[in-house]
Amino acid sequence: MDNPFKGEHLLPGHLGQFFTILAFGSALLSSISYYFAVKDEFDVSWKRLARISFYINTVSVIGIGTCLYYIILNHLFEYYYAFEHSSRALPIHFIISSFWDGQEGSFWLWTFWQAVIGNVLILRAKSWEKPVMAVVALSQAAIATMLIGVDIFGQRIGTSPFILFRDAIDLKGTIPIFANPAVYHNYLKYFPDGNGMNPLLQNYWMVIHPPTLFLGFASMVVPFAYAIAGLWQKRYTEWIKPAIPYTLFAMMVLGTGIIMGAFWAYESLSFGGFWAWDPVENASIIPWLILVGAMHVMIVYKNTGHSYFTATLMVLMSYVLVLYASFLTRSGILGDTSVHAFTDAGMFWHLVADVVIFFVLAVVLLVIRWKELPRTQKDEETYSREFWMFVGAVFLCLSCFHLVVVSSIPVWNAMFGTKIAPPTDPVKHYNIVQASFAVVVTLLTGFTQFLKYKKTAVTKFFITTVVYLVCAALVATLVVYVTGVAKLQFVFILIMVGAIYSILANGKVLIDALKGKYKLAGSAVAHIGFGLIMVGALISAGTSDIISINTTGEQYSDEFVKAKNNPRENIIMYKNTPIQMGKYTVTYVGDSISAPNHYFKVDYKVVDASGKVTEEFMLKPNAQANPKMGLISSPDTRHYLLSDLYTHVTYTNAMKPGEGTEAAGHDEADDDKNYEAPLTYDVAPGDTIRFRDGYMTLESIGKIDHLQDIQLQPTDLAIGANLHIVAHDKTYTAEPVYMIRNNNAFDFARKVDDAGLKLRFTKVLPQQKKVEITLYQQPESARKWIVMRAIKFPDINFLWSGTIIMVIGILLSIFRRNKELRSV
Amino acid sequence: MKKSSIFGLVVIAIAIAIIISVYSKSSTYGSFNDARNTNDELQVVAHLDKQKPLYYDAVKDANYFSFYVKDNNGQECKVVFTGPKQQDFERSEQIVLTGAMKGNEFHASKILMKCPSKYKNDQVEITEVKAKQASI
Repeated sequence: MDNPFKGEHLLPGHLGQFFTILAFGSALLSSISYYFAVKDEFDVSWKRLARISFYINTVSVIGIGTCLYYIILNHLFEYYYAFEHSSRALPIHFIISSFWDGQEGSFWLWTFWQAVIGNVLILRAKSWEKPVMAVVALSQAAIATMLIGVDIFGQRIGTSPFILFRDAIDLKGTIPIFANPAVYHNYLKYFPDGNGMNPLLQNYWMVIHPPTLFLGFASMVVPFAYAIAGLWQKRYTEWIKPAIPYTLFAMMVLGTGIIMGAFWAYESLSFGGFWAWDPVENASIIPWLILVGAMHVMIVYKNTGHSYFTATLMVLMSYVLVLYASFLTRSGILGDTSVHAFTDAGMFWHLVADVVIFFVLAVVLLVIRWKELPRTQKDEETYSREFWMFVGAVFLCLSCFHLVVVSSIPVWNAMFGTKIAPPTDPVKHYNIVQASFAVVVTLLTGFTQFLKYKKTAVTKFFITTVVYLVCAALVATLVVYVTGVAKLQFVFILIMVGAIYSILANGKVLIDALKGKYKLAGSAVAHIGFGLIMVGALISAGTSDIISINTTGEQYSDEFVKAKNNPRENIIMYKNTPIQMGKYTVTYVGDSISAPNHYFKVDYKVVDASGKVTEEFMLKPNAQANPKMGLISSPDTRHYLLSDLYTHVTYTNAMKPGEGTEAAGHDEADDDKNYEAPLTYDVAPGDTIRFRDGYMTLESIGKIDHLQDIQLQPTDLAIGANLHIVAHDKTYTAEPVYMIRNNNAFDFARKVDDAGLKLRFTKVLPQQKKVEITLYQQPESARKWIVMRAIKFPDINFLWSGTIIMVIGILLSIFRRNKELRSV
Repeated sequence: MKKSSIFGLVVIAIAIAIIISVYSKSSTYGSFNDARNTNDELQVVAHLDKQKPLYYDAVKDANYFSFYVKDNNGQECKVVFTGPKQQDFERSEQIVLTGAMKGNEFHASKILMKCPSKYKNDQVEITEVKAKQASI
């Protein structure tokens, strides 16, 4: 093959493209073969074909990944994906994560995990393998279509990561020099480096968060596939038990992924918090909520035979919502409402089709089997665990429903041509509505523990419930007043009661479990973790305290300040000028640059009444002066056991684009322009000069033998003025020099940059026994400053530790349910 | 009536309540004219007027940023944001402002801007800033 373009490596791309087609074809073949294998119970050949196809799919998926890695690692920028997401300067772990920086890479992650899960199912699903794998392979084929990027009837299907730069961008049309074919064929020479990764994503969480999240999404296909298989094979009662461990697994992994995202946002993005109810965040939590509900109803069905339809419906919807979430975040429809949705890559209708296919599949099967679905004639007992678990699950659905309705406002606008704007204060809106659901759910996770399946002794139940509720209310009252949650809206106080109630009630179950009923431990631990998450989220978000309130009195105009609700959360800090914030004395003391990051050293001190420093630490929020994006700022946080202190720089004059390469040899005259008009003082040793930020004393005048600036000759006379300078409680010394050479007077100025001073020894006045010192002060505006925001988040550790506890709880439950499977 | 039917009705009632509350709370995107006629906060889609000056002087006040925009009807208005200026604000193509009119100035509590992305040549990126920290 003769390629006129110089320097291109086409082989990995061709190979990768081949694998994308193969992945799609083999997944589809596998799904169809499994379908026919199901039709004929005694057939072996269809099943073998199906398995082999799925293995081929797995290999192709790995092949796609390998090719793409090869391209990215070797900086083959002739591929648009590598050009767009990577660059030569990127460190290796970010090169790995630049892999899933774009849509194509994240689809690959999804299909990769789904392939892994498919192989696990082939090994473990036994009699369920054929119908379940038919669905999983179908889903695998659907994702593969997103990656093939082939034109069919003039319409590009999916978007391939192997598209060439020159195909992705119309070079000839946009850049005139490429009209010349000779130049065009050598186009790679003009693009020696890639765009690189968005600096915001250059974080170790970017390495770990997306793979976790996508493992969660991918594993949600398993309960869905089991539910479909159950309806299809009319094995209505059987599918739930083997599906429970997978459901728990998906719940655990997706939950971890979501909280990782929250932690990432909190630690290194400048959100000013861990959750902002951005539609993209909502899109990840929507399937999780419904999955949690579904899992509870599945257990109800397993134990009592009630709620079959609800369990099936919720499991089916949970996966449809995963696909819907992927539509929301990837189609570009959230454009006006979300900060970090993907932009449309021309797959809008493709993504819609994906949702519709699986939705229709689920609905059609439910309708066909409607009459045969197992139903219980008897109502659940009011005092039974199953009834209240069912109620809880329905409330989780309602909470999910609310999130779907509000996050999808742009979708309603697109569908009905309306122009509804999302709530003007979305955080408040979501918080209040979701809090109401959280109250119900936390209370239910509490008192349901005192109920038994089928029927419970009413009196005993009421006594225990009330006793625990009273205890919880007492503890909650205490917590609410100590932490300051009391000043929030009433519904948040109710959540506190509910969460503490849940912790106490499940604590009792846990104690019982430790005495011997081990199998109850999992759910108890998970519920305690959930309760702690609620407590931590509530206290830290509800009582976070902005300590960087501007109280300096420096403001734009009085009138502007008088306007009510003026949040003055950002404060300007001049270098070396301490500012009192809450109990901290905060000083911006300097910078350290380690390209590409510019760290601002912010010193925090706590001084007690006697003036002793009881605590001192340094925070280094950083920023990148990114030539492409301007100032990208990341916070730094001081972690205490019970609270966090979060600091981030919002604006500064201390950074220059292209800093680190300081131009040497400033012109003297130019340099003086950086200062206010000079002031001259005639002083004798012992005299003091006052200036804006402090004072200085002339200690002594003495002859100097060596000078750093020039070589002294024997005939020269050089004298220095020893100055002791105090500015902002810091002391400095400086020795400007006056020199006579060949009857000409020279002087060498000294600068004290931290104090913004330049000092010259300009005259000797022998008659008065004085010398003249010329003082240059930097104007306020030329001094380095940062605008920063500092927030105190109390008790956020409950949130993180609650998450870990919840994950441990779910893990215990997985072991228990697995054991139950084997014992049957 | 079966207990589950009663429960079902309650659930449906809550679902309807959610839809109504969302619908009543959410405004439509408006113009500066609409903003003049109401005291409530609303959202305006506008474009930065690059001819007029942007004002941000952190030395004077780190929480005052003003600029001029034109809404989709072409009406121009001065906007005041109580917070620092965002990087690359000058490059923004479209701005969604949340806030209310105070006299002749639109006081924004949140700015969501769309910039032509430097990372994706033919795509756009979006950033959002709030004057106030999100709180419950």
